[in-house]
Amino acid sequence: MISCLVLERPGTWRTIGVTALLFIAVLPAAPLVWSALVSLASASVFAGNAFQNAIENSILLALCVAVVSLAIGLPFGVLTALYEFPGRSVFFALATLPLLVPSFLWAIGWASLAARLAPFVSTTLSGFPGCLVVMSTQGIPLVLLIAYAATLALSGSQVDAARLAGGERVVVRSVARYVASPTLLAAGLSGVLTLSDPGPGQIFGFPTAASEILISFSARYDFVLAGRQCVMLTALVLALAAPLVFFSIPRLASEVLVRQSRKVRRIQHQRLAGVVVAALGIFVFIGILVPLLGLMLPLVGGTAFFRAWNELSHTAGNTLGYAIGAGTIATFLGLPLALCAGRNDQLRAVCFGVALGLLSLPPAFTALGIVQLAAAAPAWADLFLRSRFTVCMALGLRFFPVVAVLGLRAWGATSATWVLVASLHGVSLGTYLRRVTLPLLLPVGGVGLLLVALLATADISTVLLLHPPGERSLPLAILTVMANAPETLVASLCLVYVTAAIGLLTVVWTIAEGRNV
Amino acid sequence: MKGTFVSCLVILMGAGICACEQKSAQEVVVYTSVDDVFARPIAQRFEKETDITVRLVPDTEETKSTGLLNRLLAEKERPQADVFWSGDPVRAAILKAKGVAAPYRSPQADGLPPRFSDPDGHWTGFSARARVLMYNRNLVPEGQEPASVMDLLDPRFKGKACIANPLFGTTSMHAAALFAILGEDKAKAFFEGFSANDGKMLSSNGEVRRRVATGEFAVGVTDTDDVNVARLEGKPVGMVYPDANGMGTLIIPNCAVLIANGPNPDAGRRFIDYLLRPETEQALAESEAAQIPLRPGVPVPEAVPSIERLKPMAVNYTTLAGLLETLSSGYLPEWVDQQSR
Repeated sequence: MISCLVLERPGTWRTIGVTALLFIAVLPAAPLVWSALVSLASASVFAGNAFQNAIENSILLALCVAVVSLAIGLPFGVLTALYEFPGRSVFFALATLPLLVPSFLWAIGWASLAARLAPFVSTTLSGFPGCLVVMSTQGIPLVLLIAYAATLALSGSQVDAARLAGGERVVVRSVARYVASPTLLAAGLSGVLTLSDPGPGQIFGFPTAASEILISFSARYDFVLAGRQCVMLTALVLALAAPLVFFSIPRLASEVLVRQSRKVRRIQHQRLAGVVVAALGIFVFIGILVPLLGLMLPLVGGTAFFRAWNELSHTAGNTLGYAIGAGTIATFLGLPLALCAGRNDQLRAVCFGVALGLLSLPPAFTALGIVQLAAAAPAWADLFLRSRFTVCMALGLRFFPVVAVLGLRAWGATSATWVLVASLHGVSLGTYLRRVTLPLLLPVGGVGLLLVALLATADISTVLLLHPPGERSLPLAILTVMANAPETLVASLCLVYVTAAIGLLTVVWTIAEGRNV
Repeated sequence: MKGTFVSCLVILMGAGICACEQKSAQEVVVYTSVDDVFARPIAQRFEKETDITVRLVPDTEETKSTGLLNRLLAEKERPQADVFWSGDPVRAAILKAKGVAAPYRSPQADGLPPRFSDPDGHWTGFSARARVLMYNRNLVPEGQEPASVMDLLDPRFKGKACIANPLFGTTSMHAAALFAILGEDKAKAFFEGFSANDGKMLSSNGEVRRRVATGEFAVGVTDTDDVNVARLEGKPVGMVYPDANGMGTLIIPNCAVLIANGPNPDAGRRFIDYLLRPETEQALAESEAAQIPLRPGVPVPEAVPSIERLKPMAVNYTTLAGLLETLSSGYLPEWVDQQSR
């Protein structure tokens, strides 16, 4: 019988486990990274001044998005977890909607609306401001969800104690301080995610590193140059993220010595509930309704709902399948990675660094790596490398760092003494994993799965490059018809998609609320 | 929560099982850079007539995606596609240069002008779009329409002219054509003059269409299908085939490319034969794309000019591909960078 004590002891299995899991995650990008690294010796320059300027722009944008997401997402997440307010499920569905919709669709919505208003609106939005608005719209929900989940991880007694000590002000301040560490990580991740997204930069005319990499891929067809640029960007991200890693790693491992089973109870507080509703309302209006208005104005001139419904019925299965598949794969990789890293600071730092590096890579980089692997593999491997499963796998691998970081934090927050006590009572590893670890990590796995599913749905590049012919997702269908389709059709498709997404998210949030997840 | 996890696992397994879906008796995999709304009806007609299932994988300039051409290049060793239906000859020429295209001379190509096809048969041109000047009729009075792309440098269009990003799509091909026809100095002078006249670079041709239609810009350069869609939507826009008395209008034929070592070569050839038929040219002319048949004598609607009525720019499309490669690594990114500041 293997003792559960192994979970808290150092061992080579940790290094082997972490290496194996990270190897799986990095493998698809390996062919292009390798060819880029090989070419480094012969390359006199990485990509010229334009790329250096673009990198500066990208880093600035990422930092601003992280700051804005943290500043708005943290208080929203804490307040929504602590206080009751009417229409929670719908508000949450609307607030998380930006994660489901590809960023450049928001950008097109803003640009279309601005064009109909006045030239100065377009001028104001062009460049950095437009990118910041769109990217922050996607970063805020990520931080909000993590802050919400982290607040719910507190025990009800802790919150009640803070309330008795100094009222609601102390509660909010204490909880915000407690959730600051994971939300800072989430803000960092949302900033890093902007680095790989070329859409808004292209639409608002703001040169970013992702745009330059896209140009290398799509205008020059130079995979090696694109690879070198990705390597440079990733190295820079890691260098800049080093302070964040050093700051976060010890806090990630700070265990909760006393964990009580009583969950946080949301209370009625008229004034704070009003603040939450007003703030969420403003976010939903500015971040979501305004760009949606831009996308859907053509509906005034007519609709094409039959065609849109037809498209939805053909693609809904794939869309859901890709999203859930990606979430599941990310969870099955991310949580074991956290378990293997345990409380070992070095392994945690490696995991965190690789996670950031993977997130900063453009999706096409990993996807093209898989396409090349599939082309070199025998036909029987098509089941894994050229199927719908491949799309799930690629999306799961791309976003698994999100689950891994959540898992690292969750495992670090458990008490090591539990394992010691259990081992004294002769509890086996299997029993401990089943009875203690799994129930502890399941909520984190659930949140991670949901987040990855949402992010995966909005990822067009991976689906475009990997979907089996004829098996596209709804967002991809919208994007491939929108170039020259009548505006009414595009608007109808957007409306159908957004309505379906809000409906689905409302159901998810209603279930979550009902179970007090 | 446990139940949710188990459900997810079951769904994932289901997805994996579905991945081994049965293939129909005969199928053809077609990658296309032609807009989905125009390509799909043609594919559906082919299915009806031949009982061969078409698995269509469309792409679009609008998404600014890494694109299907990269997928084709990466799949070169063991391709999934049988046919690439390209919206322009430059991408087709790149596929030929990279060894992805196989030569195929379709019997249906008779009557198509050879100057729009590859002399070695690696791609065959048919129905075409043209690069045109689109203007807003509320902003440009009758009789004062622009007649040449050089009119974009005219002070009356200061701050009121737009083009799409010349690193992508048909605009990149147009830029290469200007360099080929005008020479490097004059072409650079055109781009610099455009910037000096406060001309604006937008993200795509679709964006040019939308913003000229709304009146934010008076004139823009885009493709005939963009203008036709705007017209059908009742937008106040007009169109000019530029430089009818000068260097001519850039014609952008569709191209059918047979992929080397594709999984269904016979079905691929049949699809190409179908694309090159006069009936397909007519269907594309009658569609919202309003494409111009290259074969003389194909009946066209009133809004579509016959190719004989136009003065096509005298460019060699294979040369354009090479020139574009050079420009994409040199002048064009510099100009785009300058525009973005």
